[in-house]
Amino acid sequence: MAQDLNGARDGIASDPAPGTILAVGTRRPGGRIELTEPPRPGEPTMRWLSHAHTIDDIEKELSKIWAQPNLMVETGPERIGRHVAARTSVMNLVVVAREPETGERSAETISRLTGRHPSRTLIVLSADPDGPPWLDARIQAHCVLPRADAPETCTELIFLTAGGETGRHLSALVTPLLVHDLPVTIWWPGEVPFGSEPTEELFDATDRLVVDGSAWSGDGLAKLRLLAGEYDRHERISIRDFALVRQSRWREAIATVFDLPEFLPFLGSIRRVAVTYGTRDDTGAPGTTNVVKPLYHVAWLASRLGMRVVSPLAPVDVKGKAAGPARLRPGEKAPLHRGLAAKLRAPSGEVSVVIRPVASPMPAGTTLRLEILAERRGSELRADVTAEAENVHVHAWLDGVEALDRTFKAPRRSDVDLLGEALEGGGRDPVARETIRMAARLTGAGAIPGQGRPD
Amino acid sequence: MRDLRLATESRRKATTARTLENPLREGLRLERVPDPAVFVLFGATGDLAHRKVVPALFQLWRTHLLPHEFTIVAVGRRPYTDQAFRDELKGSLDKYSRVLPVDRETWDDLASRIVYHQGDFNDPAAYASLATRLDALDQERGTRGNRLYYLATQPSAFPEIIGQLGRAGLDHERHDGGWRRVVIEKPFGRDLDSAIRLNREVGKVFRERQVYRIDHYLGKETVRNLLVFRFGNGIFEPIWNRRHIDHVQITVAESIGIEARGAFYEETGASRDFLQNHLLQLLSLVAMEPPATFDADALRDEKVKVIRAVAEMTPEQARRDVVRGQYGPGWVSAKPVPAYRAEPNVDPASETETFIAARLMIDDWRWSGVPFYLRMGKRLPKRATEIAIQFKEVPHQLFRDSASDPEPNLLAMRIQPDEGIMLRFGAKVPGLGIDVRNVTMDFTYGSAFQIDSPDAYETLILDAMLGDASLFTRADEVEQAWSIVDPIIAAWAEEPAPDFPNYEAGTWGPEAADDLLAREGRRWRRI
Repeated sequence: MAQDLNGARDGIASDPAPGTILAVGTRRPGGRIELTEPPRPGEPTMRWLSHAHTIDDIEKELSKIWAQPNLMVETGPERIGRHVAARTSVMNLVVVAREPETGERSAETISRLTGRHPSRTLIVLSADPDGPPWLDARIQAHCVLPRADAPETCTELIFLTAGGETGRHLSALVTPLLVHDLPVTIWWPGEVPFGSEPTEELFDATDRLVVDGSAWSGDGLAKLRLLAGEYDRHERISIRDFALVRQSRWREAIATVFDLPEFLPFLGSIRRVAVTYGTRDDTGAPGTTNVVKPLYHVAWLASRLGMRVVSPLAPVDVKGKAAGPARLRPGEKAPLHRGLAAKLRAPSGEVSVVIRPVASPMPAGTTLRLEILAERRGSELRADVTAEAENVHVHAWLDGVEALDRTFKAPRRSDVDLLGEALEGGGRDPVARETIRMAARLTGAGAIPGQGRPD
Repeated sequence: MRDLRLATESRRKATTARTLENPLREGLRLERVPDPAVFVLFGATGDLAHRKVVPALFQLWRTHLLPHEFTIVAVGRRPYTDQAFRDELKGSLDKYSRVLPVDRETWDDLASRIVYHQGDFNDPAAYASLATRLDALDQERGTRGNRLYYLATQPSAFPEIIGQLGRAGLDHERHDGGWRRVVIEKPFGRDLDSAIRLNREVGKVFRERQVYRIDHYLGKETVRNLLVFRFGNGIFEPIWNRRHIDHVQITVAESIGIEARGAFYEETGASRDFLQNHLLQLLSLVAMEPPATFDADALRDEKVKVIRAVAEMTPEQARRDVVRGQYGPGWVSAKPVPAYRAEPNVDPASETETFIAARLMIDDWRWSGVPFYLRMGKRLPKRATEIAIQFKEVPHQLFRDSASDPEPNLLAMRIQPDEGIMLRFGAKVPGLGIDVRNVTMDFTYGSAFQIDSPDAYETLILDAMLGDASLFTRADEVEQAWSIVDPIIAAWAEEPAPDFPNYEAGTWGPEAADDLLAREGRRWRRI
């Protein structure tokens, strides 16, 4: 990938992986890359590469790309000229990467989306924060033929590396390079310095923020509170958290239980919600495993059902509480005697919440099981959702009699899928907003006992 | 309970009654997976099943949109073992799947859910054994009594199969929620009488809400976008009427002939095969009033209303406003092609039309006086489906002296290929004088969204399994459409044999089709 981004390669790779950017052909001074082979449908090709060191020069380079009357391909046996279509963008995508490797990885992910979501993409890296200010930009145009008989569609990728002071003025760096009137999405892989001035300035101009809460260090809960705070600081912002998007099949599975008319009334009388997640840490000490994903399950249920927080999550000894032993699958060890517990209030009574770890070979913080217990008019409904390989299973028992048994396919989605989905989704997502806010309240953000409020 | 009720009330509109009440469903619409079900495919050995239905099911399976507890029972006359039938399907899939090559593992996974059931469509024993088998499958595979019967057979077999399903009790929905639905392919009847009869037969067995009549045009992405374009944008609706629109043209052009379907086409012709369903569906979507909600019945109520407003033709009007044609030999896509009468299984003196053009009027406040010109033909120069809205001329011509004539604005919606929307307007040619030339503002789906559109059959099968009938035609809609086509066919029957063939393959149809517009000072858009 790195050498692709740095310059054109001569000749054609023998068997390119799908989505790999191919700079096939030769480059003359001025950025334009002439193809020696006709472009192949569906394969993004780099058609322009140039460098600049000031924002003004970047803007000049960008306008040069589209001002080139002869940026076209002379190809095919009949040598028919094919015009490169004018720039097509449906959004501005800004990636803030703290490390060069993250930047390259993000560029790779985005290149696989070139065709799906035409955008002007800025990848912003900062380097050498204590050195003198400098700016280095690689400006590229990537084109793709949607079909053999269609015109090419091109999008721009600007790889910005800012040194010294320059790197701290994110907003000043990014704003002049955005395409007017198009929504701005920020993808911030890794840790986000929420609350810092440059970050918040950048978010002021942002329509959508894409993060992955399950990748944050520690238990992730402090960052989660700050994330929820962004809704208050920036009225327009909508947030996509990969951790939450990944759970869509779980939510589907849980909702299915209550599609049954006889089970629906039990939604109003849930008494206990227990989530078991995997940890690699044998001691199970609180704060070492990221629990954003298990927490989101509880927060989603609580926000959908209009519950409020009575006492936020606090470490407990599961053994001493009424949580009961988790049923284990082969290969799993007994639960570690630690977890987090909280109390919620539903319209019809109190709900106890337990989030507990279990040693597991799965990635740390993965939800393994979710149990819901509801009681109504002397009847007991127990729903149990578990993950196994690529499936999510849901079982439900009414007074001990099995009443539902379903399986949902839930293959693990790559960053490419998740980013694609985050970009495809509409702007507003009230469910995510309420879930993230509830998750923050569950960790104690702004909670005054007895006065938590649903959104 | 109050808060829960509030949470429920704040939920945005959902599509079916059952999901209405479940507050956990909010925001999950796109992720909804249909209930466990058995897909009972009649005509499983036929062309439609192999080319369209099974590839669509495979694609849905591949993208995890079908329930895990899913089984296909393929019903056909010919004897097959399960494995032999699966192998045959795999062969077709390798040709017709939208995504190739077919992933072996995914296919094996789906194939293990396909069983073959041999039986004659008119043999009651076949249905009795089917009933037993379906019950056993429910137990074995957890499909919970939900069944979708898909009729991909010859249309003549529809009444028989539906009657037999009823007699075997396979239509009964269960108290514990097992649903039964039937999907019926077009053509639905061959005239108004037969459509009414068929509706009556279907109605004896199934309730209307269990019936899903397919017109696959409605499942096309761009056709569905028509609704979004009209009712999701504010700037078009105010000019979408007789005050601003001069006329509307709807073209469905095919470069192919009738392929191997000679016998079928001899029976139907362009009026039955296209006018009654696809063309009138497109017309109703362009001309309908905005529905109050986006649910199946609100949408179909409006469609029926506008089709009902289409003036029925007198024989004299039919002669004047409808043109039929049949292709002779010619050249298409730089290849010589035979005449219709020389195609296999076609009568050498056939009077079946392969082209139809019609001028329809909609008698309501919105459209009074605005002609809708519809045309459909086989062996035209290219494949193109398009709706063109021709706006009126400016009331006062300021730029009469311009070197090229300024033309009135035009909005073209391309359904296929190269799906998109184009707006034509006049712009000044740079220079010292005032010269106006037409330029276009062009939106193509391919460049804004390069996500593969689902095939129409994928959309429709998934909708039927989810119980959403918005994109299916209702009984009254079908009958109303026939009542427009019937008088035309009747008028032709009264006339002397037409002078067929009257257009050369690879041209835009008979001259009379051009005259239809020319006599009112208009012309077909060049496509």
